[in-house]
Amino acid sequence: MVLNTLDRVAVVASAQTQLRGAWDRLQHVDLISRAVDGVLRGSGLRMRDIDVVINSGSDVLDGRSISNCGFLGAMGANHKEESRVEEDGLFSAVYGTTKVACGSASVALIIAYSKPSESDVSGYYATLTDPFYQRALGLDHLGAAGLMANQYLTSTDADEEALLRIAAESWRKAGDNPLVETGDVPSRADIEASDLVADPLRALQISRPVDGAVAVLIATERVARRVTDRPVWITGMGAAMDSHFIADRAPGELEACQAAARMATKRAGLTDVSGVGLAEVTAGSSAGEAMVVEALGLAKRGHGVDCYADDASVSVNPSGGALPADPIMATGLVRLAEAAERLAGRRGDADVGTRALVHGSGGLGMQNHCVFTLEV
Amino acid sequence: MRNVAVVGAGQTNHARRRKDVTQVGLAREAVTRALEDADLTMDDIDSVVVCTGPVLFAAVNQPEKWLVDAIGARLKPVVRVTSGGGTGLAGALAAVNQVRGGFADRVLVVAYDKLSEGALQYSISTLYDPFWGREFAVGIMGFSAAYWRARMDTLGHTEEAAAMVAVKNHKNAMLNPYAHVRKEVTVEDVLNSRPLCWPIKLLDVPPISDGACAVVLASEDAAKGSPDPAWIRGMAYYSEGENVAHRSMIQSEPLTIAAKSVYQQAGITNPRRQCDVVEVQEPYTCFELSYYEGLGLCEPGGAAELIASGATAIDGDIPVNPSGGCMGANPIGATALIRLAEIAQQVRGRAGDHQIPDAKVGLMQAGGGWANLRGVAVVSNTKG
Repeated sequence: MVLNTLDRVAVVASAQTQLRGAWDRLQHVDLISRAVDGVLRGSGLRMRDIDVVINSGSDVLDGRSISNCGFLGAMGANHKEESRVEEDGLFSAVYGTTKVACGSASVALIIAYSKPSESDVSGYYATLTDPFYQRALGLDHLGAAGLMANQYLTSTDADEEALLRIAAESWRKAGDNPLVETGDVPSRADIEASDLVADPLRALQISRPVDGAVAVLIATERVARRVTDRPVWITGMGAAMDSHFIADRAPGELEACQAAARMATKRAGLTDVSGVGLAEVTAGSSAGEAMVVEALGLAKRGHGVDCYADDASVSVNPSGGALPADPIMATGLVRLAEAAERLAGRRGDADVGTRALVHGSGGLGMQNHCVFTLEV
Repeated sequence: MRNVAVVGAGQTNHARRRKDVTQVGLAREAVTRALEDADLTMDDIDSVVVCTGPVLFAAVNQPEKWLVDAIGARLKPVVRVTSGGGTGLAGALAAVNQVRGGFADRVLVVAYDKLSEGALQYSISTLYDPFWGREFAVGIMGFSAAYWRARMDTLGHTEEAAAMVAVKNHKNAMLNPYAHVRKEVTVEDVLNSRPLCWPIKLLDVPPISDGACAVVLASEDAAKGSPDPAWIRGMAYYSEGENVAHRSMIQSEPLTIAAKSVYQQAGITNPRRQCDVVEVQEPYTCFELSYYEGLGLCEPGGAAELIASGATAIDGDIPVNPSGGCMGANPIGATALIRLAEIAQQVRGRAGDHQIPDAKVGLMQAGGGWANLRGVAVVSNTKG
């Protein structure tokens, strides 16, 4: 891969709406406006300082072709360079970062949003399987997550107790995150007692689709130094897509996530991830989350749950992660925002070190992966 | 900024219905041709950018997830950029930034649509606000007809002038082996063809096609093995976010802004004289007239005179759409990238029967949405 040095590029600000089961009194455009207003507030930057707007959302979830066209005003994109990356929002951040890194923009506004409460999430996932051989079977994200969880349990030493613990920890942390609406936080017992949706996974072990929007500003070092005293540097990026057919993928592990992480860490000049104190990762289920932290090199294969121990050297998903709140297409960009805010010390005093890994994913059974390395 | 070049391009044989291939088989055909043209294999490709029209066009959600295996891109970065009809150029721009920003050295851009498998105008109608617009089922034609009508009065873009665009592009498509429609028409044929949404008539409208295009972009180092790189001298893609009532569709502002930016990047002060060949994406004949003005090939209001003078014919001084443009083939998600591929092949001397002799600088335009997304690029056989 290419290793020429990026000009220094930083995440300088972020804003989110609360992530909720349903924002039933706000439209997509309202959610986007709130995130965009929020990210500019206090930055000293105005809309006219934004050079490019890159956004993620889904025509299928929105029920609308070229749906970005309906939101260009709210995104501040009028008469600006704008593009829609129809994939998880972290991939939009890749685009924005390359644009800033090469000097063709000084400030990039990255936006991602989701309103699955108005859509059919199973239909969204089922329609991205092969139309001839799989769709008629109704394979959706739930079935895919169950199949992959079984592969994980049978090919490693991990057990169902580990999967329950990961889900319980995720919900507990989300309960402390004011940006996630959780209601009464379910306990481990509640999770174990929830409906068996896709064996071995119970309802509360599968990511919960939520409504929300997130905006992130990415800028050159020169702008970053003026906007914030804590720029969060983007030191590496990687991405990789796995096979479409789940049966063609390696059982119980995520090779594409490993490849994406290798590309990012190599770029960042990291020989291992021992210096990483914080990871914000995306997953479709508790088993998926274990597989992601293992693919990122934060735990040995089958031991992802170790990252959730009280004495773990890395803090995984202090935000709660994607299990309690998955704004489909925006989830990875929320992870970037959460990690950057914490590294910059704007989310309380918890010591998360100076380096973070951020992970986003898209597709059925997490077919596509993207990894960022951040540093302060 | 790192220099970036097109080092290979390929397209499919376009047709109304390609029954012999699946959607991904269609895309693979273009990829195979582009890699052969570049004398490279998938092993040489660092990253893939996929472009298609809105997913409702071909009724598969996130089609790139299906494509990855068909083109052998497993475990490489693969992402889809979508931007309506201009998506092929929006994707190429993302790829250019991947190279310039150091994310990749060689990027494969794949753009395709298999419009025979979806409901095109239904899909376009869903563009409009679901509460106030969708029930009108306006598609894109009524909107375009209204603005052409306005440009008739203000700019003199007559039905006859637009008919000349159809005549020229149909004639040029006869020289293009990939074209889907290869049939000459006369000005009278166009004027007498069935009105669909006046002033738009049947022969003002391009066909609906199945087709794909692929382009390999490379950094200067990675282009060293290429005998004839087509250097990207400028590329931009702009949006207009305002509602229709506040927009000037007499001259497209996003097109003017994009052209200004690209000419600045490429050092072009007089596009009519400095460019040797032009490819534009004309969803209806009237748009090609509008682009002449937006691109500065003539003054505002000069388009009818420009087409009538023969200057934009294949043997004119500023040939536009020697490939036949969308009139020859219109696989919407691929058309913008086809325009880029065509000007790249022109400056590489690989355009075949519709080669413009000694072409050194090529200009292209593409766009999408409700005519609110507009992009421009300039390529040349020198780095500048």
